[in-house]
Amino acid sequence: METIGNTFPPISTGKVVPLAPLTWRERVRGLRRAIWKHRAIYLLMALPLLYFLVFKYWPLWNTQIAFKDFKPTLGVEASPLIGFKHFATFFKSYYFGQLLGNTLIFSVAKLILGMPLAVILALAIYESSFRFLRKVTQTMAYLPHFLSWVIIYGVLLALLSPGSGMINEMIKAGGGQPIAFLTSPNWFRTVVIGSDIWKETGWSTIIYLAALLSIDPLLFEAAAVDGASRLQRIRHISLPGIASVIVVVTLLRLGNILDAGFGQIFVLYSLPVYSVGDIIDTWVYRQGILEFQFSLATAVGLFKGLIGLTLIFFSNKIAKRLTGSGIY
Amino acid sequence: MNKQLYKLTLCVVLLSLFLAACQPAAAPTPTAAATQEVVAPTPEPAKPTEPPAAPPPTEPPAKAEPVDLEIWVGASVSEAGQPPDDWAVYQIAKDKLGINLKIVLLPTAQTDADAKINAAAAANDLPDLFQVNREPWYRLVQNDLIATVDDLLPLMPDRTKILYSNDISNKLVTIDGKLYGLPQPGALPRTDALVIRQDWLTKLSLEMPKTLEDFTTVAKAFTENDPDGNGKQDTYGFCGYIESEGVGLLPGLGKRFEWVFGAFGLNGAWNLTSAENFQLNVRDPNYLKALEYIKSLMDAGVVDPDWPTLKKDEFRARWKQGKCGIMNEHFAALANKSNYADFDKNFPDGEWVVMSPPTGPEGKSSMGADLTNVRIFAVSKQAKDAGKGEAIARLLEWMEGEEGYYLIGFGTEGVNYKKDENGFVTTKDIDPEKAYTHKSQQPLTQLRNMVFNNNEIEMKARYVAYKTANGREMDPLKYLEQYRAQPWTEATGWSIINPPPGGADFTRFYSENLVQFVLGQQPLNEQTWADFLAGLDGMGAKDYEAEAKATLQISGFLK
Amino acid sequence: MLRFKSWDEFGFQILVNGFLLTVLLLVVIPLWRVIMMSVTPIGHIDNGSFGMWIAPNQWSFEAFQQLLTHPNFLRSLGNSVFIAAVGTSINLLLTVPLAYALSIPTLPGRKLFIGFILFTFLFNPGLVPVYLVVTKLGLRDSFAAVILPTAISVYNTLVMKSFFEGLPEDLKEAARIDGASELQVLAKVILPLSRPIILTIGMFYAVSHWNEFFAPILYLDNAQLMPLPVLLRNILMSAGVNEYLEYDAFSSAPIEAIKAAGVLLTMLPMVALYPWIQRYFTKGTLSGAVKQ
Repeated sequence: METIGNTFPPISTGKVVPLAPLTWRERVRGLRRAIWKHRAIYLLMALPLLYFLVFKYWPLWNTQIAFKDFKPTLGVEASPLIGFKHFATFFKSYYFGQLLGNTLIFSVAKLILGMPLAVILALAIYESSFRFLRKVTQTMAYLPHFLSWVIIYGVLLALLSPGSGMINEMIKAGGGQPIAFLTSPNWFRTVVIGSDIWKETGWSTIIYLAALLSIDPLLFEAAAVDGASRLQRIRHISLPGIASVIVVVTLLRLGNILDAGFGQIFVLYSLPVYSVGDIIDTWVYRQGILEFQFSLATAVGLFKGLIGLTLIFFSNKIAKRLTGSGIY
Repeated sequence: MNKQLYKLTLCVVLLSLFLAACQPAAAPTPTAAATQEVVAPTPEPAKPTEPPAAPPPTEPPAKAEPVDLEIWVGASVSEAGQPPDDWAVYQIAKDKLGINLKIVLLPTAQTDADAKINAAAAANDLPDLFQVNREPWYRLVQNDLIATVDDLLPLMPDRTKILYSNDISNKLVTIDGKLYGLPQPGALPRTDALVIRQDWLTKLSLEMPKTLEDFTTVAKAFTENDPDGNGKQDTYGFCGYIESEGVGLLPGLGKRFEWVFGAFGLNGAWNLTSAENFQLNVRDPNYLKALEYIKSLMDAGVVDPDWPTLKKDEFRARWKQGKCGIMNEHFAALANKSNYADFDKNFPDGEWVVMSPPTGPEGKSSMGADLTNVRIFAVSKQAKDAGKGEAIARLLEWMEGEEGYYLIGFGTEGVNYKKDENGFVTTKDIDPEKAYTHKSQQPLTQLRNMVFNNNEIEMKARYVAYKTANGREMDPLKYLEQYRAQPWTEATGWSIINPPPGGADFTRFYSENLVQFVLGQQPLNEQTWADFLAGLDGMGAKDYEAEAKATLQISGFLK
Repeated sequence: MLRFKSWDEFGFQILVNGFLLTVLLLVVIPLWRVIMMSVTPIGHIDNGSFGMWIAPNQWSFEAFQQLLTHPNFLRSLGNSVFIAAVGTSINLLLTVPLAYALSIPTLPGRKLFIGFILFTFLFNPGLVPVYLVVTKLGLRDSFAAVILPTAISVYNTLVMKSFFEGLPEDLKEAARIDGASELQVLAKVILPLSRPIILTIGMFYAVSHWNEFFAPILYLDNAQLMPLPVLLRNILMSAGVNEYLEYDAFSSAPIEAIKAAGVLLTMLPMVALYPWIQRYFTKGTLSGAVKQ
């Protein structure tokens, strides 16, 4: 509504409405004119939108198997409808509460701890006056992103093993008792969250750096002339300058709040730490492999989407109120 | 400068779009069309000349149009790639058998292969003949996607005689009295057993352990008395990890600890001794005792503390590094050249000898479960309905015959291998670059699992005796022989027990609690044990037992 | 030496660079360990350095050699490069226009379109529903099956859109007043100003193509089409199941070394890519434009 309104100078300023309200006929005409004016843009969007229709909405149509007893021989449409049975299977499953809790803990912790760290690192790289250190850190910090979890597991084992790990040898040398970081329910979450931050922070920095670099340097110069300190400049220029990106990234992460990092957990977890490590996706994986239950997996996917939709809807409202920017 | 580079990049991007626009369309056509077009024209040339003739399957192969067969099979060497286009087998299949063969190698990781087959199944687009693991196979049969093959066996008498006449392995692919798959011989049975460092025993003047108490004593000495003499306390009495493959659907602590349960007369999750005794082994009071024994080893610190999280590769790295005194290891993983070289280089005097499973308080002992394994090859319902059954049988029969067997198993005689005076396969006097064992020749034998039947020729060819860099004589088959001479518990029936109610949750509850007990994460006593059993019952253990019993009785595994 | 305008500035730089140094160390130490893993010779016993140090004269490049001389290495590499190049091009050619369109505040139906694509971000249809579509379209066993289903990432589109929105409105307005069409605005104003973000998003896309192994495994049948990650995975698998692999043809390096070497090799092109992109990450891309 607002977007359409904007094309009409008389009502765009809000207060000036003493004129007679527009009739729907005039609105339609205005809309038509606006659409015609943007025809090139629509053309530009045609192919991308077609992509979404074919590769996203068509599969989404197939997700009706979540409500069906899917029989490959019958196909998607003809399989018998069974309602919410698969959803019930998931909700009533023995570990549902634990799975949901673990998923949220990992997901939220990674977001709350990882995001600020990435922003701080981006700011530090941007502000550093040592060209060499800046370049090297920038390049090195993003490398861990490319290591697979299997490799990282190997490194973690070498560092954390209670028998011969480096960290435990230090603990022992200091007179302490070795800690089974990878198999102790007290430590496992720390290891998961810490290793994720180690792996992904540098990578997520890239986007904030790109945002920082798009800020007009004149603004900084002007602030310097006004005698603003470094921290003041960060607070009043840098952060507002990248706020919209931070908001978008955060909102999108919230939309996928129930994705807690399958690849990582799957490699790192083991039986002694299932209680603190098992997440929705690992459950679906085990259940799916055992049972050929595509309908169940799809139902869980829909559930995750619904939660994400709700979250993104409300947090977008809040973000708009607080920062003036959001996803839409 | 920068700007130009940028423009250049944009140009490249644009250019590659054009390429892309053509490519995806162009690439698929040859393969996709090749298979489809051959099918389509078949009836058409026939029509104008003659109205519907006899259905092709009954015609002799030589005159009929070639039948397209698509086979998905697990590669014998995953990284080597598929057989070359000029592979002799393709030509013979076309000329002699009237078959256009298409081979697709399945991903090596079991779960990847399952995913690929499951996805194809969901799209009702399964290949004609495919290798499939038991769990997905069972579900596919339930979904009516796999055909029965009883009627194919008479069409391949020789192959049936060699491969499909074993009652036990046939039972593994039988549902409701019908064969839903062809049971190729799978991994060898009784391949994993206890081995001990003889050089450590000698150094510490210890006797080979015979009972569980002996085991504890020796394991303690191996941990605390510096058996490798490096002045550091960096060794463990026992090394292991949780291996859940090949032990049925309720792995518990996994294969590596089976010998402990054997000492208490309980191997694996189920008691299969008789119909009356049939139950989950955890219900037996001795199970608790076995767990208590394992826990005592953990508490004494004689087991590598990483065992619950280790993966197979990391476990192997440990014994190659000389950290382990006793372990339960696969004979080939221990003794084959590539693994042993590491150990041999580090410890020229190190010696692994086979150790009998220690006896328990009642004098019982068993190394573990003796399971017959099969690789299931299934014929899709679609293929059978399309009348391809006869062609499949024709191909398989040829494969197991003299020509097919050697060609698929070892390559071309005189080029890739030779037969010695006793008829055994050898690479003596063969150009090493062309030998069937050479890296570059692996694509030629990718299908060997479709023909191998574990005969002596194969065993000798597969597990070659050799001399290590330090001059030690190694013969993997000797280890296997000694492994097999140990006491074992017959348990093939396990394999056909279906997943528990609630699937993954039941499995998790079962295994997770067992691990927590031995790690001391929850106390292990009569009370907690009773709670655990009650928990299992709450998840439907009783129903599961009844269902499993019925399944076993119907198929004749339980009397 | 550097000169600082004030003690404040000096303290600030100490803080900032101290932080960078810490980050650098935290990243480099484990990475170093991976490099050491990759050069571990067969039969190496750890010398008490926790795998952090192997004397250079003992380094073994067997693992790298084994990977690089693998008969299928070059073909897989070629496939990977092709998938990444074509895939990324398609990604950008679809993402940039879409993100731009969605960044135009006056576009009628803008919110609707955003909702339209955001919905697909939240609801991931999952393996089988997508597989059914790819099969129906007849894309199986072609690169198209690997490239097309991920042709646009909603995440990347929305990030890019927020960048476009952040560009000074007066610039676009000025162009429009000069009579430029929206397409011209995109080509003449937006694109030149958005180098960092386009390259960054391009890199995101390229990396995700580069690392992809599941889609190829699922959709490709022809082993000739498999990209590098699949080959590496297969090499690792056969090194890992060597109790069943009775032929000794394939393992002359420890499996840990092969794992690490494989990771380092796949990293290499991407490692080279970023510094190249960084060249366009120069401050003041905008100020120049404003002055024009």
